[in-house]
Amino acid sequence: MPDALYQLVYYSRNHIAGDQAAFTANVENILAASRRNNVRDGITGALLFNNGCFAQVLEGPLGVVEAAFERIQQDERHGEVSLLALSPIETRSFPNWAMGYVGSSAAQAASFSAIGQGSGFDLSLLGSEEIHRILRDLAVEEESAAA
Amino acid sequence: MTGLAKNVWVSPDLPGFDAILDSLPDPVLLLEAQGAILWCNTAANRAFEQVDPSLPVSAIFPRLTQSLPAVTAPVHLQLESGHQKFEATLTRLDANFIILTARAPQSTSLTRDDVDELTGAAKRNALMRAIDGELAGARQFAVHCIDLDRFKVINDTLGHGVGDLLLQKVADRLKSACRAGDMVARLGGDEFVILQRDVPSSEEAERLSARIVDLVGRTYVLSGHTINIGASVGVALREERQQARDLLRDADLALYEAKRAGKGRFRVFEPDMQVSLRERRELEIDLRRALALRQFRLNYQPFVELEGNNIRGFEALLRWQHPVRGNVPPLDFIPMAEETGLIVKIGEWVLRTACEAAVSWPENLTIAVNVSPLQFKSDNLLDTVEATLKETGLAANRLELEITESALLDDTENVLATLHALRGLGVKISMDDFGTGYSSLSYLQKFPFDKIKIDRSFVVGESSDSQAILKAVAGLGSSLGIAITAEGVETSDQLEHIRSQNCTHVQGYFTGRPMNDAAVADLLQSQMRKNTNA
Repeated sequence: MPDALYQLVYYSRNHIAGDQAAFTANVENILAASRRNNVRDGITGALLFNNGCFAQVLEGPLGVVEAAFERIQQDERHGEVSLLALSPIETRSFPNWAMGYVGSSAAQAASFSAIGQGSGFDLSLLGSEEIHRILRDLAVEEESAAA
Repeated sequence: MTGLAKNVWVSPDLPGFDAILDSLPDPVLLLEAQGAILWCNTAANRAFEQVDPSLPVSAIFPRLTQSLPAVTAPVHLQLESGHQKFEATLTRLDANFIILTARAPQSTSLTRDDVDELTGAAKRNALMRAIDGELAGARQFAVHCIDLDRFKVINDTLGHGVGDLLLQKVADRLKSACRAGDMVARLGGDEFVILQRDVPSSEEAERLSARIVDLVGRTYVLSGHTINIGASVGVALREERQQARDLLRDADLALYEAKRAGKGRFRVFEPDMQVSLRERRELEIDLRRALALRQFRLNYQPFVELEGNNIRGFEALLRWQHPVRGNVPPLDFIPMAEETGLIVKIGEWVLRTACEAAVSWPENLTIAVNVSPLQFKSDNLLDTVEATLKETGLAANRLELEITESALLDDTENVLATLHALRGLGVKISMDDFGTGYSSLSYLQKFPFDKIKIDRSFVVGESSDSQAILKAVAGLGSSLGIAITAEGVETSDQLEHIRSQNCTHVQGYFTGRPMNDAAVADLLQSQMRKNTNA
C-alpha cells in the first residue's frame, strides 16, 4: 500500500515577501531542494506559480508523497494550503520531471494569459483536474520545444 | 579599554585573525554582498555538511529568505541546516561583505524518561522543570496550551493507529513552528504545551500562537487518508507570575476561551477571563443545586392544528427561577447544563413533570418534550422514557420527543437505533428548529419523523428567501406525509400566510403564550365549555 502510485494536487498562497529578485531566488531554492529530494524519493511532478498562488502536482509511491507533502505543509513560504486531490494512479503524468516549473518563461506566461485572460486569474478557482491538465499540457509543450 | 586594544594590535606576537576566529565555538561565515561564501571558520565546517567557497549561503540555509543587500543593521534569524536549527545573526561589515554568525541552541538536557515515546515531545515533569528554570531567570517567556479540535472523532473513526500517526505529525509541526530553544511537551492525549523562551513582547507570543493554529490546521495526509483537524491555543506570558502552575492555569483558561469562541483560534490570557470563569463557576454551583432546591418550573405552550383550529397539545418549556438571579433565560444555563452533563438529570425531571401534567389533560392532547443530544449519549434515554410512561400512566402516543439535528451529528447509528426503539414504544418523534443547523435532508430520509418544526426565523422572516424556504420545507413535509409546525407565529398576518402554505400546525404567541399548569387547566376548561356550548 505505501508503494502504490499516487497523485496529489494542491494549491496555496505565496507568503514570500520582498521584490521579484527575492521571489525568484526563493523559487529557485524550492525547486533545487525539491528536485534533489524528488530524485532520491522517486517523485515526479510540476510546480505552477501565478498571481500569488502555487499549485503543485506530486506523483510517486504513497509513502514518499505523504512525506513530501508534510514537508511542504510545514513550509512558511506559503499558506492556506488546499489539498485538491489525492488519488491512486496507473501511470505518471510527468514521468521525466523531477519537478517541472511553470511560470517563468515568456511562452508560459502567454499560455497563462490565455487561460486567465490576464488580471483576474486565480489558481484557487481551478479544480485539481484543471491544474493537472494545465501543467501536463505545458509539460508536453516544454518537452516538444526541447526536442 | 580602547587604549589597550589599540596597543594590542601592534604587538608582533599575536596570533592571526584566522586562528582567533577558528577558536570560536560557534560557526562564522564571511559572505560577499550577494551571498556567496568567501570564508568560514572550523566550527562552521563542523556544523554544516558542505561549506565550499563560492557556494551561495542558501546552500547551507535553504530557508534563508532575508535579502542580503537589504541588511544594514544586524538581523537576527532562526535558520535551519539539515535538521539542525540555528540562531543566526547577519552583520554588515562594509559595502562588500557580510558576516553570518550562527549559534546552535542551548541543548535542553532531557533524559529518556523525560521524553514521550510516541511523539518525541517532552513529558509533563520535564516541562515543569523547564518552566521553573525560566522562572529562575529574568527573561520574559510564554506558555502555549494547545488542544486539537476533532482529534477524538479521527481516533474513533480511523482507529488508534492513524490517531497515533497524527499525533506524531502534529508534534513535528509544533517543533517546526518553534525556535531552537523552545520546548514542545505533550501532557497526554491530544494536549500539547509549548514553552516559548525569550519573548520580548506579547506580539512574539501571538505570532507563534497564530502560526500553530495555521500549521496544525493544515491538511494531513496519512496512509492515504486526508485528515483535517484544528488547533485551539491559549497563551499566557510570564509577566509577574511566580509559579509554573499559575502560568499553566492561565494559559489553560485562555485555551478554554479560545474553544468557547469557536475553536481553531488562539486567545491571550486576560485577567477578565478569571472573572468570567468565576461567574461561570458560580452559575454551575447554582445550577447543580437547582434541581434539589426545586427552582425549575415548566411552562406549557399550546400548538394548534390549522385544520379545525384546535389545540392538539403543549410543548413543555423549562424555566429556572433563582431567588437572587431571578428568571434565568434558558440560553444562559442550558449550554452550561450540557457542558457539565447536568442536562441528563434535568431532562429526566422535565420528562417526568411534563408527563405527570399531561395525564390530567383530555386524552386527545399530546405533550412535547425537548431532548438534548447529551441525553442520547447517556445510554439510558430509552429506559428513562419507558419507566416514566409506566410510572405516570401516560399513553406512549401522547408523548412527543423533540430532537434537534445536532443529536444526529455524532454517533448517528446509535442515535437512530434509540429513536427507532422509542418509536417502537409508541412515542412520536419530531425534528425541532429545522432550518437553523445543517438542515440536511438526509436526516429526514434516515428517520421517518412524525413532525418537523420550522424555526421561527423563517416564519417571521419577510425576505423572499425565508418565504421560499418555508414553502419548500412545508411542501417537502406534505409530500413525505410529515406534519409541519410553524414556530413563532406572532401576528394574524403571519398566521394567514402559514395557512396558505402546507403547514399543518402553528405554535407561537399569537395562538398561545407559554403558561403555567394552572393556566393550562383554565384554558382547557374554557375550551371544554366552548365545545359543549357549541
